[in-house]
Amino acid sequence: MRPFFQNKTNRVWFLLAAGLMLFNVWNVIANTPMVPDQHWAQKIFYVHVPSAWVGFLSYFVVMIAGIMFFIKGDDQWDDVGLSAAEIGTVFISLVLITGPIWATPIWGQPWIWEPRLTTTLILFLIYIGYFMVRSFGGHAERVKRYAAALGIIAFVDVPIIFVSVQFWAPEIQSHPQVEMASQPSGILVPFLLSLGIFTLLYTLMLKYRIHVIRIKNRNVADV
Amino acid sequence: MFLTLLKKELFIEFRSREVTLSMLVFGLSIILTFAFTSNVSPVIVANYAPGMFWIMVLFVTAVGVHRSFSYEKEFDAFSMLISAPIDRGLVFLSKWISGFIFLTLMEILILIPFFKFLMINFPQDLLIAIGTTLLINLAIMVVASLVSGIAMRARLSEVLLPVLMFPLLSPVIIAATKISTGIMAGEPYELWQIWLLIILTVIVIFALVGYTLFDFITEE
Repeated sequence: MRPFFQNKTNRVWFLLAAGLMLFNVWNVIANTPMVPDQHWAQKIFYVHVPSAWVGFLSYFVVMIAGIMFFIKGDDQWDDVGLSAAEIGTVFISLVLITGPIWATPIWGQPWIWEPRLTTTLILFLIYIGYFMVRSFGGHAERVKRYAAALGIIAFVDVPIIFVSVQFWAPEIQSHPQVEMASQPSGILVPFLLSLGIFTLLYTLMLKYRIHVIRIKNRNVADV
Repeated sequence: MFLTLLKKELFIEFRSREVTLSMLVFGLSIILTFAFTSNVSPVIVANYAPGMFWIMVLFVTAVGVHRSFSYEKEFDAFSMLISAPIDRGLVFLSKWISGFIFLTLMEILILIPFFKFLMINFPQDLLIAIGTTLLINLAIMVVASLVSGIAMRARLSEVLLPVLMFPLLSPVIIAATKISTGIMAGEPYELWQIWLLIILTVIVIFALVGYTLFDFITEE
């Protein structure tokens, strides 16, 4: 198997994603308007929301990979599922870090049981369990099936978790943040751009991680 | 075939009484701990009682389900069970319903010590309390049976089971506590019907997912 960056297309994608991400950071810092009540704290939303989008997209990919693994019985889908789970968890961790960073100056405390953040935390914990199954599950073939099933179960549970958390304690969930989609174009356009760049970065990361896992699997099989 | 599998689960349990007895003793120990750690006025305890009850049920379920699946490991009984020419989804359904029966039995036995040790009054509308508790038990057991199907044959199964089960059950536990709080406070049905809907959703979705996936999960 050729090294990932010997492939010209991969090199181009990498340079494009790196360049666009640098542009994104500069654009968010220099070109986006300051929101009067939030000042610099609001800028974290250009990272926080795209991270959440990519994290949930990645977990959706885990579910699809799980379904495909059961239908086709092909180990390649297990590689996709594992890669997506790893990358999804990285981005979901970013959400759980950037959320409290924003909340501290705005809400006056780092954590409030806000439905989206709480759902993300529960999903994060489910995926910690997922990686524990991957590590301590025992027989390799069985672990693949357990992981595929968990990927499906976890995503199916998301809407139920969200609804239950939303109705759970509405009195402690009031917060002043405005939906990103209802923002003026000065904020909305850079936000959508950031969303696109994060998605591009995710695609590249997923492709790279699948490549690495396949090399690892091949080496293990050779041993 | 489902009834045969269910009979098998019940026969094993009525001979050994391992699952119900271990759930019951563990539940009593938890109540004792609650009584010692919440030595405050009965009014305050009554506020926390629904939450305490469902925490106890959650812990007890983890113990019971683990026991119920681990005796299948002895003499590799589970491998023989799944190699039989039967729909494996039915194995899941029999585990779910038998688990539900054991959990309900345990709750019946533990209800009086729970209310008396913590000095709480019984809910006024007992029939509604029983009906909703049965539905909540079904929801808890459908998730627990599916997760234990995954964790059972894994290494460290006793750790994996609660680690996977507790976050997946979080909507059920929130709903269960809200329903019980509503009933204990004598609130009208309209105020907690949304939670009943969540419980029913969990039962339907996880029963379908479990029935479909159990075949793949248990494949040799």
